[in-house]
Amino acid sequence: MAAIEVAGLTKRYGETVANEDLTFDVESGEIFGYLGPNGAGKTTTIRTLLGFQSPTAGTARLLGHDVRDEGDLLAAKADLGYLPGDPAFDGSVTGRTVLDYQASLKGDTRRDELLELFDPPLDRKIRAYSSGNRQMLGIVQTFMHDPDLVVMDEPTSGLDPLKQGLLNDFLRTERDRGVTVFFSSHVLSEVRQVCDRVGIIRDGELVALEDVETLLRRGGKRVRVTTREALTEADLELDGVVEFEQVGETTQFTYTGDYNDLLNALSAFELLDLEIDEPPLEDVFMHFYGE
Amino acid sequence: MFEIVRYEGRRRARGTLALTVFVGVFALLIVGLFPSIEAAAPGLEAYVESLPEAFRQGFGIEAIATIEGFLSTEFYQFVWLLLLGLYMAYAGGGAIAGDVETGRLDLVLATPVSRSRLIVETYLSLVVPIVTLNAVTPLVVFGSTVAIDESISFVDVLAVHLLSIPYLLVCASIGLVLSVLVQRADAAQRGGIAVVFLLFVVDSATADTDFEWLGGLSPTRYYDPTEILVDSSYDVEGALVLVVAAFVLLALSRSVFRRKDV
Repeated sequence: MAAIEVAGLTKRYGETVANEDLTFDVESGEIFGYLGPNGAGKTTTIRTLLGFQSPTAGTARLLGHDVRDEGDLLAAKADLGYLPGDPAFDGSVTGRTVLDYQASLKGDTRRDELLELFDPPLDRKIRAYSSGNRQMLGIVQTFMHDPDLVVMDEPTSGLDPLKQGLLNDFLRTERDRGVTVFFSSHVLSEVRQVCDRVGIIRDGELVALEDVETLLRRGGKRVRVTTREALTEADLELDGVVEFEQVGETTQFTYTGDYNDLLNALSAFELLDLEIDEPPLEDVFMHFYGE
Repeated sequence: MFEIVRYEGRRRARGTLALTVFVGVFALLIVGLFPSIEAAAPGLEAYVESLPEAFRQGFGIEAIATIEGFLSTEFYQFVWLLLLGLYMAYAGGGAIAGDVETGRLDLVLATPVSRSRLIVETYLSLVVPIVTLNAVTPLVVFGSTVAIDESISFVDVLAVHLLSIPYLLVCASIGLVLSVLVQRADAAQRGGIAVVFLLFVVDSATADTDFEWLGGLSPTRYYDPTEILVDSSYDVEGALVLVVAAFVLLALSRSVFRRKDV
């Protein structure tokens, strides 16, 4: 059974379409990246999945429970961890009070273990927390009851790079234990580091759904070549050359075609330097956004 | 069960304490004023007679030169009926809308807690200020009255507080309804205050007119501190009406909230 099944999910606010006919599954035990720029409709999907708002059309199932049926969905929520984007806490209480409150509502089997990794100052009032500390408190409450499914909205925001790395490692360990993670983000590099599969959402619609490897392959390779005499785009009559740029004798382009064809074409020139490497995911992303 | 009441109730503790102290000091002040008022009684009574009927009705001004009449006019009609009524409507207005607006509600809604339980327990946390105020203030009022060598029926003082509980619950319910209907917390809070105040005005203004029935819509019609203190007459039926109204409004809020997008 898929941990999350989304079927034709649509959410409109009046005239505004926030999510349009989304259909995808998140398999049990995978880290699923939900990628899109701000305003693409990621948070809307999450809020509908959690039953905070009802879909205009279509539906979704969380751990097999229909999100349109509150009673049914409550059964799933016992096994659900949720980290909102920029989690909001009551500033007038301490982090410990928040965790105690959450524990009283959903249980608390792993708090101490989590606090060794993510260590917000529990006895301080949350009003005095930095955004990183707030995020860590959010992460602890997300996992404290050992959920089977975790939904995280921009989980690394506010975390310093060290803690981001820690979170990524932690998520991989959790996945290996069988936990399913729904990881929403607008930062491509972090999705690439931790996710198994990615769904890309643009203007409320799902525009791609692939594993990260395929996504990168489809995104091609970045080729940087320096020749004795400057190349022109016409010199490379190849399918799959895009974003051709040139500075002096150095030419850079993204190549999605066959390597043999590329090397054959290049062999006609005197090469001084050649680099073929993975493009930044941002560039891959541009393929889905750029026209 | 009741984890939400406990948490939300604790969040209200500080405000409740401040309000209780404020109200207690105000009660002491009013009772302390009474001896000089009593001395000026004849002139005062003539003045009260000259006031418009609606004003006298609105503030339940009756027998102003007795401790019972003075307390009900200057303290209970003003502080309990009006100020606390407005305060509870304000608190009710902020209850759900406030947490929706800040996003704090999300972390609770993500747990296996039904919306029904959430709103009922949030409402019950509003009982914290109601119960605290009604437990402490009668002791202050009775104690200070005895201290100035006046006598007042302790049973009547208790009754005035006990019967105010349904009234204040209705005011909180009015706020709660707005809290689930309106998106913004400050709009719900101000709306709650406006509605309760409007109902108070309607009840006062229609007294002894052909439109007196209109005042029947106002919770103030069913709770009259002056009647209790001055005449020792308890409107238990009115209190029951208020209890039912509070319950109906809570049920309405619950049903709206269960379908609401947050």
